[in-house]
Amino acid sequence: MSLLLVLWMAVVTVVPKNVILVKGAIPGASDSTTPVPEKGTVSAGRYRNAYFGLSYPIPAGWKEQPAGPPPSDSGVYVLTQFAVSDGERIKAHVLITAEDLFFSAAGATGAKDVLASIRHDLPARYEFDHGPEEVTIAGRPFHRLAYIAPRTGLRWRIFSTDTRCHALTFTFTGVDTEALDAGERSLNAMSLASAAPACVNDYASNDNILEKTDPLLGTHRFNTIPVRVLIDANGRVKHIHLLSAFPEQSQAIIAALRNWRFKPYRVDGKAIPIETGIVFGMPRMVAKTTRAG
Amino acid sequence: MKVPRLCGTDTLVCAVALSLLLFALPVFAQTDPGLRGGTPSAGGPLSSVASDMPPTILSFFTDGQTRFVTTDSVAGTISGETGFGLGPRYNSRSCGRCHSQPAIGGTSPATNPEVADATADGATNTVPSFVVSNQAVKEARFVFFTDASGNPITTSPNGGVEDLYTIAGRSDAGSCTSSLISQPNFASAILHNNIIFRIPTPVFGAGLIENIDEMDLLTGGSNPYGISREFNRNGNDGTISRFGWKAQNKSLEIFAGEAYNVEMGVSNELFTQERPLPEEDRASGLPLQCRANGTPEDHTNFNKSAVATGSDTVQFAMFMRLLAPPAQVTGTGMALISVINGEAAFGDVGCTACHRTSMVTGAPASGGPRITASLENVTARLFSDLAIHHMGTGLADNIQQGNASGDQFRTAPLWGVGQRIWFLHDGRTNNLLSAIQSHSSTGSEANAVIANFNALSVSDKQDILNFLRSL
Repeated sequence: MSLLLVLWMAVVTVVPKNVILVKGAIPGASDSTTPVPEKGTVSAGRYRNAYFGLSYPIPAGWKEQPAGPPPSDSGVYVLTQFAVSDGERIKAHVLITAEDLFFSAAGATGAKDVLASIRHDLPARYEFDHGPEEVTIAGRPFHRLAYIAPRTGLRWRIFSTDTRCHALTFTFTGVDTEALDAGERSLNAMSLASAAPACVNDYASNDNILEKTDPLLGTHRFNTIPVRVLIDANGRVKHIHLLSAFPEQSQAIIAALRNWRFKPYRVDGKAIPIETGIVFGMPRMVAKTTRAG
Repeated sequence: MKVPRLCGTDTLVCAVALSLLLFALPVFAQTDPGLRGGTPSAGGPLSSVASDMPPTILSFFTDGQTRFVTTDSVAGTISGETGFGLGPRYNSRSCGRCHSQPAIGGTSPATNPEVADATADGATNTVPSFVVSNQAVKEARFVFFTDASGNPITTSPNGGVEDLYTIAGRSDAGSCTSSLISQPNFASAILHNNIIFRIPTPVFGAGLIENIDEMDLLTGGSNPYGISREFNRNGNDGTISRFGWKAQNKSLEIFAGEAYNVEMGVSNELFTQERPLPEEDRASGLPLQCRANGTPEDHTNFNKSAVATGSDTVQFAMFMRLLAPPAQVTGTGMALISVINGEAAFGDVGCTACHRTSMVTGAPASGGPRITASLENVTARLFSDLAIHHMGTGLADNIQQGNASGDQFRTAPLWGVGQRIWFLHDGRTNNLLSAIQSHSSTGSEANAVIANFNALSVSDKQDILNFLRSL
């Protein structure tokens, strides 16, 4: 590199290529140490997600694909994707997603609903192999939906389980049944935490709130801001996770929620920590019956 | 020399052997069949408009179309350029110069009219390096404001349109000279990678898009691809906006008014002032000598009657509203089979999760159609959900418009794609296959769908390309 080029680079600012600098509504949190769903990692042949306590062995020969989008305002996370190819054509891939059931656009209340909703919206040309039906994988209940597009030979094998009020879903798709079988077998070697804070839908109602300061959202953005809150056994807000918010909204909501106090949530008389969801901004979109298209 | 015979007496065995040989040959990769030729399958009015129902509506369409292609000059006094109010900054001199492929109301033509616009009527502009005769029409935006040295300040997002040209030097520019007004420093912006481009969106069938009820936009949407449906919303009333690359414009009239002001420099009843560049607006504004006309330059014509009363902006919007959607041309025989297969495969891989096949426009109210029958209760096969989706680092332009972030774009309607020359928001490619693959990159919602596409056989991919070129 010539000296002139080095000097030029030292004084000239260049907008980097292939980087999203203007991010709009993004996830945010009240601290950076409490695990959040979108922060999974890939190492030593496994996908790990501390929030879900998930460790998933990547099938041999499958490669990590480009990362997905940020969490949506309806609580959909694309956690990761892996694929296996023969060099020219993808044989199979798996998309791991999570849908936060506090904010589901389809009104889903569990993994079973998520798969039923997918099945409901599929056109008639697909042939169904299975489900939705309940199966046991890695020692825990899953729901399975399998179908095929006869003309192209694409096959879907979808497995979804309920965890921390999310539907955690593994969607295997491909044309190569051996690769799909290998992918499906990999599920048996995953581990998924069974212990987690209790999740309680709509706990942030006036009946349960002892102290409350509304956030000052100065700008009318008309966006939906889903927020997941960890509340300790004393009813204090321990952690705040915004799935989708503009930075100034995150700041205002975190500042306000830190001062909220809830009635302790009790099970059999004992106060326990919980997770719940709150929507700020525009109320969440509620699915309507499909009319066309 | 004895010539070996390919086949002996057993013609059946020979035929089988030859056919096996044929199928053993390497399979050629799928290719974009290219721009569909023949008559433009768009550009005419909706059928009820063509039938002049209600009476006189056809004259509104025709008048709007005429104004759409009328070339503007500064004072409207140049022969053949009777439109009024051009500049002082502009990208081109009529709507129709850029919205013309394959017919008036479409998108960028094969020959970029901006090259000629630079020096029309004596203007002394330099053609920027990215404006090239055989490439797409370009609208430029600077991503960030800059310091005095031209370095982008990444804490100061800009995103406004940087008009290519000024009226300086034109025979009708009066005292507005190049010493008073200059073109943006595009060379510096390119040096700092602080510039992005947009091409014109086609407006065929725009009235149908305008008339889809919000309730229908919100229906359905469950899919196994991790795709969500978020909408850009009008900052005033919170309703879903739907026009422009990022769905930043609520209605056709807003779309027309903004474009008239931003692309041609014509102030109007919606955008009432002459528009300076974003950085010029922060400084001293447009020089007084370059504000040749009173504002708004385009307005309701109270001294005229009937169809001539409406402003250009209103009539542009009416023309777009009454334009029929592009018709699909499927061909016959094998071509038809391929198109049918292609549409199924397009759905199989999941493209329709965003490029939603169709929606039904609003039903007529009691008492008959509000504007014209062809706008109401019809199935619009637009292949779009009109939502905004994250498209990842590969397509991100780092421009925020409304709630659409740097990598969120409206699902581009695909009707008419068969006769479009350039694809994607910046016209970076004229190859449909390349456009499809560009949907996958870090942060894109389409990654799983593109993985499905890449799992297809060559013939299935070819069918999808053939289907798209039929639209």
